Amino acid sequence: MSELLRARDLTKSFRSNTALNGLNLSVNEKEIVCLLGANGAGKTTTINLFLGFLEPTSGAAIVDGTEVTADLKRARSKLGYVPEQVSLYPALTGLENLDYFVRLGGGHRDESHLRGLLDQVGLDQGAADQKVGAYSKGMRQKIGLAIALAKGARALLLDEPLSGLDPSAANEFCRLLRQLADNGAAVLMATHDLFRARELADRIGIMKSGTLVEELSPESLDQAALEQVYLNHMHDDETVDETTEEA
Amino acid sequence: MIGAIIGKELTEIRRDGRALGLLGIVGLLLVLGLTTGLATENAREREVLQAQADDSAVFLEQGEKNPHSAAHFSRMAHKPVAPLASFDPGVSSFMGQVIWLEAHSRNPAMFRAAEDAPELSRLENFSIAGVLTLILPLLVVLMGYGSIAGERERGTLRQLVGSGASPIHLLLGKFIVIAGVAFAVLAAAVAISTSFSLLSLSESGFSGGDLVLRGLSLLFVYGLYIVCLTAVTLLVSMLVAEARTALLLLLGIWVVTVVGLPRLSASIAEQVYPSPDSATFWEDTRASLQANRPPSESEDYVAVEREVVERALGRELRVDELDDLEINRGALRLEVSEVIDQEAYNAAYAELFANYEKQKNLRRMLSVLSPTIALQHLSRAYSGTDIGAHEHFSLEAERQRNDIVRAMNEDMMLNGAGESFGYLSPPEFWETVPEFDYRPPSVATAWSESARDLTILLFWGLAAMAAMFWFGADRTRV
Repeated sequence: MSELLRARDLTKSFRSNTALNGLNLSVNEKEIVCLLGANGAGKTTTINLFLGFLEPTSGAAIVDGTEVTADLKRARSKLGYVPEQVSLYPALTGLENLDYFVRLGGGHRDESHLRGLLDQVGLDQGAADQKVGAYSKGMRQKIGLAIALAKGARALLLDEPLSGLDPSAANEFCRLLRQLADNGAAVLMATHDLFRARELADRIGIMKSGTLVEELSPESLDQAALEQVYLNHMHDDETVDETTEEA
Repeated sequence: MIGAIIGKELTEIRRDGRALGLLGIVGLLLVLGLTTGLATENAREREVLQAQADDSAVFLEQGEKNPHSAAHFSRMAHKPVAPLASFDPGVSSFMGQVIWLEAHSRNPAMFRAAEDAPELSRLENFSIAGVLTLILPLLVVLMGYGSIAGERERGTLRQLVGSGASPIHLLLGKFIVIAGVAFAVLAAAVAISTSFSLLSLSESGFSGGDLVLRGLSLLFVYGLYIVCLTAVTLLVSMLVAEARTALLLLLGIWVVTVVGLPRLSASIAEQVYPSPDSATFWEDTRASLQANRPPSESEDYVAVEREVVERALGRELRVDELDDLEINRGALRLEVSEVIDQEAYNAAYAELFANYEKQKNLRRMLSVLSPTIALQHLSRAYSGTDIGAHEHFSLEAERQRNDIVRAMNEDMMLNGAGESFGYLSPPEFWETVPEFDYRPPSVATAWSESARDLTILLFWGLAAMAAMFWFGADRTRV
């Protein structure tokens, strides 16, 4: 299995605060890796470094063999990104939003293909032609995923995509992710949700204060271990507020 | 990619009632500007044509009359209303419309519309140029303040860039849409205004080709203005974190550069280079006239006498012929005084217009802080309503005054020997006095006289575009 995402001694500091400290991590094709951790643990910083929104202080973020800082455009062309809140243009329909994002990403798909993708992510055809101003969060997340699919991204970066979804929508979203991974994608997902991570991930990375402190397999996480992880690592960090420190 | 951005932005505008409402308001203001401009300038043109006809009839039908007496009554030089005055009235309301061509005196232009206007008719100054200069920036600001900052706030910018979209393409697409919509409004305003002006060309002295070139020139400079406005708007939207902050900042820039600085620059120019009041101007001119007049026995005076007579006879005089000629000596003195005073009048008016030019240069310097000032200069120049156009008219009117006063003095000098001021010109004589056939300067003159303003506006456009793309190139915060 080829390695599609790799962090090599990846470090990011904001002045005196180290948001990410020497992260070494890889995600292979057909694999889902969840990063767990409290606020400020370095999850979003990791994703931002892969997306090129931040420049590493040292180390490298590598996407399918391309170092992000060396060839940002090429690296981004291989990435799909689904944020916590998929932001869309409320005056456009779901289909128009999808078409726009795909075109701006440099691709072009005909309408039937885009409709097929929306169908694939579970958005019914009636909803595809409605303006997204009236969409629920789950529907927006599906559009976000469809954008990544339409782009043919080999690696998916998801930043708290399940946050705020009702259980049914979250289940459906996780099912889709699994399907994508089975089809060959590498998925790196930042989440707070221990239980979903255990159900979905092939590997779970526990982050604390910018450091990857543990890598676990879901099978090793029984109820007692889950509680222990929660008690040890899921309290809010006070190190760096990533949202305000981003350049 | 840029096509997709343009398509999406236009779809949003089409579906957004607020944007259409805004365009509707701007359209209404332009229609109001056009109708008030056309009504004002058409009324003024009718007055000018009527006054011209009345003046001509009175002059031609005055019957037997002493030519010097007629020279005092004389003619009026009517400045034709510039066909694009309905687009930009410029300084025409303040500089006067008619010059009384009187013997002995180079009069200033009379009938300044601004002096005659009661408070309530100040709306007459509400022109298309005024709407475009003031309101077009607001249209651009309201369409563009959230272009980048709004996308950043909504999170779409992050998603777009994360999906591989180029910030430069995003900027360029938005630039094309905002500038394009504003340019469409501008083009409609200029096209309609120029078309109406073409219909009323016959009496103005401008040619159709010249008018079309003026319209295109206006389109170009206002287009450049739109480029500046759009680039600055997108630049601010790109640099600040929130759309609301961008709006406040841009409104502040609008107040300072569009509303405040152009007015302030005029006040500063007037303070630094004050225009003389009428009493002072005439007091100084009279003193200069007195100082310039040589004694009647002096060599200089006699030389002018000789020159005047030779010109009237159309031949050179023999050395001692002047004293022996049978001519009306009173008329000779009148014409000699006209020739001598001409120099002092020319100097006085040249100084007056040089002072206006200094004021303009100072405002031009301040246009480095506000492109609106340079645009105002260009708009007036291309509309034929700036001080340069008035100075041209003033000089041509003075030439006409010299010509007709000379014609009347020469008639009395050559035909009224021995009759002193009792000489009467026959009724048919008045038809030989040349009519004032004023040809306004062409647009090429306006181009050359306003080249510096165009350079400043071009600099603004290029600098704003360069700044927008420089900051946009991988420096766009997501």
